[in-house]
Amino acid sequence: MSDTPDTPDTPDTPDTPDTPDTPGIPELPDGTTVDGQSPDYDIVFVGGGIATATVAKTVVEKAAAQTPPVYPRILILEAGRATAMSADKYDTYVEAYQEAPIKVPNSPYPASRSAPQPDVLDIAEVPSDKGYFVQKGPMPFGSDYARSLGGTTLHWLGTCLRMLPNDFQMRTKYGRGVDWPLEYTDLKPYYERAEWDIIGVSANVEHQYYPIKNVEKYFESADEKKMRKGRYLFPMEEIPSSYLDDYMAKLCADLTVELKDDDNKTHTFPVRVTNTPVARNSTPTKPDYQVVGAVGNADRGTRCEGNSSCIPICPAQAKYNALKTLYDLIVKYPDRPLKKGEKPRAVVTVRSQSVVMSVEHTQEKGKKGTVTGLTYKTYYEDGTPAVPHTVTAGTYVLAANAIENATLLLASEAANNSGQVGRNLMDHPLLLTWGLLEDNAGAYRGPGSTSGIAAFRDGEFRKERTAFRVEIGNWGWNFPENAPYDTVHDLVGGGTDGQARMWGKELRDTLGAILPRQFRIAWELEQDPEATNRVTVDDRYRDRLGKNRPVIQYDLSDYVKSALPWAAEASRQLFAALGIANPVRRPVYEPGDYTHYDADDAAAVEHDGVTYWVRGAGHVVGTHRMGDDPWNSVVDTHQRSHDLPNLYVVGCGSMPTLGTSNPTLTMTALAIRTGDHIAENLSRKADQK
Amino acid sequence: MSEGAQPPTPKQIFTDLSVRLTGFDRAELAGTGMIDTYYDTLLRIIGEREAGQLFRYAAEALADDRRVGSGDAALEQKVIENPRFAAVVVSLIKLWYLGSWYPLAGDYRDDNGSTADDVEHVVSAQGYREGLVWTAAGAHPMGAKPPGFGSWAEPPTLIS
Ligand SMILES: Cc1cc2nc3c(=O)[nH]c(=O)nc-3n(C[C@H](O)[C@H](O)[C@H](O)COP(=O)(O)OP(=O)(O)OC[C@H]3O[C@@H](n4cnc5c(N)ncnc54)[C@H](O)[C@@H]3O)c2cc1C
Ligand code: SF4
Repeated sequence: MSDTPDTPDTPDTPDTPDTPDTPGIPELPDGTTVDGQSPDYDIVFVGGGIATATVAKTVVEKAAAQTPPVYPRILILEAGRATAMSADKYDTYVEAYQEAPIKVPNSPYPASRSAPQPDVLDIAEVPSDKGYFVQKGPMPFGSDYARSLGGTTLHWLGTCLRMLPNDFQMRTKYGRGVDWPLEYTDLKPYYERAEWDIIGVSANVEHQYYPIKNVEKYFESADEKKMRKGRYLFPMEEIPSSYLDDYMAKLCADLTVELKDDDNKTHTFPVRVTNTPVARNSTPTKPDYQVVGAVGNADRGTRCEGNSSCIPICPAQAKYNALKTLYDLIVKYPDRPLKKGEKPRAVVTVRSQSVVMSVEHTQEKGKKGTVTGLTYKTYYEDGTPAVPHTVTAGTYVLAANAIENATLLLASEAANNSGQVGRNLMDHPLLLTWGLLEDNAGAYRGPGSTSGIAAFRDGEFRKERTAFRVEIGNWGWNFPENAPYDTVHDLVGGGTDGQARMWGKELRDTLGAILPRQFRIAWELEQDPEATNRVTVDDRYRDRLGKNRPVIQYDLSDYVKSALPWAAEASRQLFAALGIANPVRRPVYEPGDYTHYDADDAAAVEHDGVTYWVRGAGHVVGTHRMGDDPWNSVVDTHQRSHDLPNLYVVGCGSMPTLGTSNPTLTMTALAIRTGDHIAENLSRKADQK
Repeated sequence: MSEGAQPPTPKQIFTDLSVRLTGFDRAELAGTGMIDTYYDTLLRIIGEREAGQLFRYAAEALADDRRVGSGDAALEQKVIENPRFAAVVVSLIKLWYLGSWYPLAGDYRDDNGSTADDVEHVVSAQGYREGLVWTAAGAHPMGAKPPGFGSWAEPPTLIS
């Protein structure tokens, strides 16, 4: 593979700055397109994931509640199939997962050659174009996403943490990354709406321990009516912590981790096991909260039943996925003419197997412009060739996830006066550590993770190294050692001598003694935005429909790498408190620390002469960052393109930094804010008609 | 075998052998609903002739061990350590525990040839769900047989 010519890191300064700092109503207030024709739709969305679902639902509800009410006609274009919209078809995904020889996040969701998706099984030594991504390195980007209606929430874990106040001000507080154009307090009411109205989050405020002064105040709601005295309630009670969490909490009750910085100064971190807020159904905290169950089968999935497969698929749909919101929309706002006597309403059309290929626009480099349409191809998979279409709208929303949004914009040469499109790609690099406990702690039961340790999420140390969050895993060594499979292989043996080492009662009892003692921790490192971590396009790499494949350059900065020895040392102190300090390696099984990183792994990272492995967390963030300055950001605080005012680019890609919380809740809060904004503009347009 | 009793059928031998190899009793194995499937799988992959030999040796060993009253000495010697069957035994144990067929060891394939089905594969979704490993772990298969809300907070069943 040869290299594509690089665009410089600092964008060209455009000759005629086009007053980009005055956001206002779209340039075409009556919703007509440039050539004066009425657009096909009021809003067209690209992608059928949670970002689209959230903006669409918010717009529809808000617009209808405004005076005068507005009932937008909405089209959602989705690249993948819509198979999971009915309960019986969803079950075929569950079956596909159970039959998959290797159970990775995308194994239940069959890729289409017309809408290919990245897969963690394609991660290889870089450079590589083995899978859908073209990976240029120096490190492979280790995360994937799903391209089916519902998007990546089909296989996410569902962890829903808010960002901490300092996460929004990394530049001001710690001299790192950039500040957000919004503060925590700006986003707080939207976090509440994301937790209540879109996702449905289960947690109890009293069990949240964060490295901030007053956790209750952090959650305190301005909505005194709904929340008595502002005391915040999540919509559902917490998902119980696992027996393993409690076991760890007991052994670590008095633990304070001590870590030394470069000046030999000691930083102390009191360890407290904290129940994690999650998008899994439990018991409502208020009688009027409506728990949302499975799509097309509302009686199922109203409470997490412990299937222990949130990644890659929740058989009960007790875990939130975007299909729930989309389904609600198409049922309430069906795509058919109003019946006689029917009250006016919005219309939501979902068109699957429709891959958006490009954003058509009038923008010239350095100037503002208008989006004039989207081109897309509908494919059939029965031998019929894909059919190209163009669609127009008053407002366009790109919500195909961070990497796809960037790929589309770059391929269309759109919205990129800042030169920042595709840049600042981030993830939470995961350092895994794993051990075998002295006692049976009941592993392989319950949701993927029910608790974590928040102590390392903030502090002065962030000037030198990134923060990290600790996620305690309930599924034994499934992630690092492909257990229980590899445990069985180790014990039964076989190999070249071909003879069983262990069988019968002894095998059964030994597995019973080993497996429930396995546990792993993911140390989720914050990654800082770097212009060189980026998605680009290269016309030599296209998929079957001719759409550009994402070409990725990715690495960890020294700032991130400096957190690796801290996470590793924190792990050692934690393991010592758990009584398993001694290093052990499979196939021997005795209490101890099994963490090891071999240099030949595709995800190996070297720092200060020590090798680590770093896995992806699936948190694809930062390719169209938001900011007030159009020359170093792609969208404004409403996720509206600085360059193309009738275009919104929505999703985790808008996040300027990502802190240590999984990004989707924050992204959903931002999407609600965007939805409100689009609805207001629709009303204004209606006013002017 | 007592005089006059019916000789066990190959499937009965297969089941008895599976009981000894897995440490799960007959009722537990029957409860998985997988006996017929795995019997067929084995026959398909190693061929009926070779399976016949395995069952002959296994039946003898099982009878010997039964006569002695305890232990697996005969089974160990005649089947598990027997180069002719050792690799098959390994794959069969893994099949029961994991619901997947793992290819026979290379040496075995060199000596006995190989069939097209002798590749790694999940036998069926049910086979995955019924993998004995989950019961052995005091757990349940990931993505199936959910134990109910909050069950994961309870002490594990295998704690004595
Ligand atoms: C294994 C894993 C675990 C995760 N766990 C968590 C977690 O615990 N907590 C958390 O906060 N986040 C988690 N995430 C991240 C989370 O899933 C994503 O942040 C979120 O789903 C992104 O939503 P989205 O709507 O922006 O994009 P997506 O969910 O990716 O949806 C985008 C949609 O756009 C469609 N699309 C793409 N290209 C086109 C095109 N050209 N034309 C038309 N449609 C297109 C796709 O098919 C898809 O339906 C996890 C991710 C992974 C991979
Ligand atoms: S534990 Fe099971 S029921 Fe609960 S969310 Fe995960 S997969 Fe769904």
